[in-house]
Amino acid sequence: MSKLIQELKVKIIDILNLQDLTPENFNENAQLVGGDLGIDSIDVLEMVVMVEKDYGVVINSQEVGEKVFSSLSSLAAYIEGNSSGSPS
Amino acid sequence: MISKRVYIAGAGIISPLGKGLAATEEALRRNRSSIRPLDLFPLLQGEPLPVGQVDGMEAPPSPPRTHLLAHAAALQAMAECEQPPDAVIIGTTTGGILTTEQLLRDSADNKELYRYHGLNSVTEYIARETGCRGTALTVSTACSSGAVAIALALEMLRQGKAKRVLAGGVDSLCRLTYFGFHSLQLVDRKGCRPLDADRQGMAVAEGAALLLLTTEKPDKPLAELLGAGLSCDAYHPAAPHPEGRGAFLAMQAALADAGLVPADIDYINLHGTGTPENDLAESKAVTALFTAPPMLSSIKGATGHSLAASGAIEAVVSAIAVAKNFLPANTGWIKADPALGLTPLTQPATQRTNAVLSNSFGFGGNNGCLVITKPENFSSPPAPAPVSTGLAIHGCSCLTGAGNTAATLALLAQGVPVAGKADLGGISENLPPHLVRRLKRLPRMTLSLALAAHQDSALEGKPSSVYMGTGWGALSETYDFLSRLTDSREQFPSPTDFVGSVHNGPAGQAAIMLGASRANITTSGGDYSFEQALLAADLLMPEGDESCLVLGVDEGHQVLSPLLDSSIASGSFLADGGGAFCLSRKREGAQCLARLPFYQSSATEGCINSLIDALGGARTGKDKYALLLAGIPAAVKEEGERQLARFMEQFGLRVPVIRYREFTGEFASASAVAAVMAVSFLASGEAPGPLVTGEALALANNKKGVLVLGLGRYLSAMEFFRP
Repeated sequence: MSKLIQELKVKIIDILNLQDLTPENFNENAQLVGGDLGIDSIDVLEMVVMVEKDYGVVINSQEVGEKVFSSLSSLAAYIEGNSSGSPS
Repeated sequence: MISKRVYIAGAGIISPLGKGLAATEEALRRNRSSIRPLDLFPLLQGEPLPVGQVDGMEAPPSPPRTHLLAHAAALQAMAECEQPPDAVIIGTTTGGILTTEQLLRDSADNKELYRYHGLNSVTEYIARETGCRGTALTVSTACSSGAVAIALALEMLRQGKAKRVLAGGVDSLCRLTYFGFHSLQLVDRKGCRPLDADRQGMAVAEGAALLLLTTEKPDKPLAELLGAGLSCDAYHPAAPHPEGRGAFLAMQAALADAGLVPADIDYINLHGTGTPENDLAESKAVTALFTAPPMLSSIKGATGHSLAASGAIEAVVSAIAVAKNFLPANTGWIKADPALGLTPLTQPATQRTNAVLSNSFGFGGNNGCLVITKPENFSSPPAPAPVSTGLAIHGCSCLTGAGNTAATLALLAQGVPVAGKADLGGISENLPPHLVRRLKRLPRMTLSLALAAHQDSALEGKPSSVYMGTGWGALSETYDFLSRLTDSREQFPSPTDFVGSVHNGPAGQAAIMLGASRANITTSGGDYSFEQALLAADLLMPEGDESCLVLGVDEGHQVLSPLLDSSIASGSFLADGGGAFCLSRKREGAQCLARLPFYQSSATEGCINSLIDALGGARTGKDKYALLLAGIPAAVKEEGERQLARFMEQFGLRVPVIRYREFTGEFASASAVAAVMAVSFLASGEAPGPLVTGEALALANNKKGVLVLGLGRYLSAMEFFRP
């Protein structure tokens, strides 16, 4: 799990271009969307694509999405619970 | 003075409902949806999503489908009119992209094949086919493009700058919009059900509609265009303001422009896309403005959302509504959504209809509303302000390969070219990182220019409207979106790149940064894009203290620029950049005064004479201008030089000429940099010697100005004077 969290931190900083953030100061339990990071609906969709592409996990409803993206650790838990193969 | 009435003399429409007014009305009376699974292009995987596709079109590639759709509408609109229109104004977001997508997949490198890519090529094609030799203006404000084009035509006619204008919108289905809206999860897999409690999104569609608008009263006008209102949410690049702030402002402005009150409106043709957010925001705006909303419906459950065409298609439907006293139903609606507080028409209705309000809202928060009425049913709206004497420049900035304004002017002062691509880090220096983390090259250049131009001005308030010209739009985002789409076999298109790819994205970002909540217009006129933005600003800017931002910006892209821009040779060195201006009508404290006296096709015999007439007449040049900046794009060098020589001779102008593209490099909005050169030379009192082959040219001691000419396929003239 902690390996997955670490991996997600690097990926999310990269795809969302969160320049002020490093994996070290990325709090996995902090509010991910709509919080201090300025992550909005377009970023969520970009993360949805990444999760499907890299982990084969589909998030296609807004209700599921809201829960999954509440924090980085909840995203990691969802991926772990729903991924059929081993993470890339 | 009574304002001129603007009549709808003719209308053309082609949509998933059919072709022509009669077929459209008949389909709407049947109240059935024309939305069905896409089969226009093959998909690499998955089931096709429901779309609004036009049947019975001949096969492209030449010209592309967008052009053919527009042509079908133009033929209908002009059928009863023997004279060509004085101007053509078209709103489009797709241009020739459907064709370009296939060419890129095939790795086609013959640039001739891409000649219809540009948005302006649609307008120029229609101008040519209808015999129009005047202004061909291309507007791209996403899903409000068609309505904004019609709003600009209204002002042009009211101000007496044209007597007949063909205006509207067009878009064809393409992979960019089909997969783009899908990547945003905005497509309803069950079709489209605007305002319904279970709505899940839109259906991407295509179509075209054009209105022939005139101030010369026709024998049987279809309807009258009584008013228009524009606004910008200045909130988010793709999502509407949750309270419908911009939608409210645009509807309110349209009613005020028409001289009507809410109770005068008999029917509202809603934007009603079927996305949860749009319909909620729009209903909040409607219920805030109308204490008792009139009958209303969205036709997008029947047609789908044809993006730039939708505002024009719905203007035609609104004209049918007042002409036939016929109100279309909200096709697809079953269950009321208590959150909306609105119940649309569930069946087509027949009722006397004097006035219709038609709403169009788009990405970038660009909103446009139109008021269409029975002819002469209402008193004409208040007279517009007297014909403008020009715009006052209070601040300016530019970006070139040399860097910012100071760096650019310093090199130019030594006669050294500034052509090149400025480093992205340098461009972003004055921008807050959180604001630009998702933005690529064009929007960053735009924001950097906007901030610098405002800082250069002594204006206290921020600009309230934005007019931006761009020849090619956000090439990086467009290319990256299409590449990732292809590379992932159509599985993982990027929502961020899609939102960033729209031509009006950068101007929308500027509005968010500045809180500019009035008109927000992006024009795309090839090498005359900046001139078109200035033209739009001059049409819409009110008298008084209000200020606006006018920009011309283009990015150089390694792959796309050489394919698309006929002046950029393959493998050549790329240049890009642009210029920005803070403008108002207030001359007090201005650095410079600017006018755009001329912008027309060069395809007619007497075009040079017309240009000279517009500038004051033959042999008057030497008394008026001290310096000429000539814009001759490389692709039209010989023709441009011939035009320039004839112009100089007949106008009696013997002044230094700076061929500014030799210094700026080749890019579509290079004329915006030339305009900054003109303003800064006038402000400093001289043009640098090395640029005018010798001694510095004094500009301070006389009243002569600087003329910036655009030559080639169109002729444009911008003039700058000291205040």
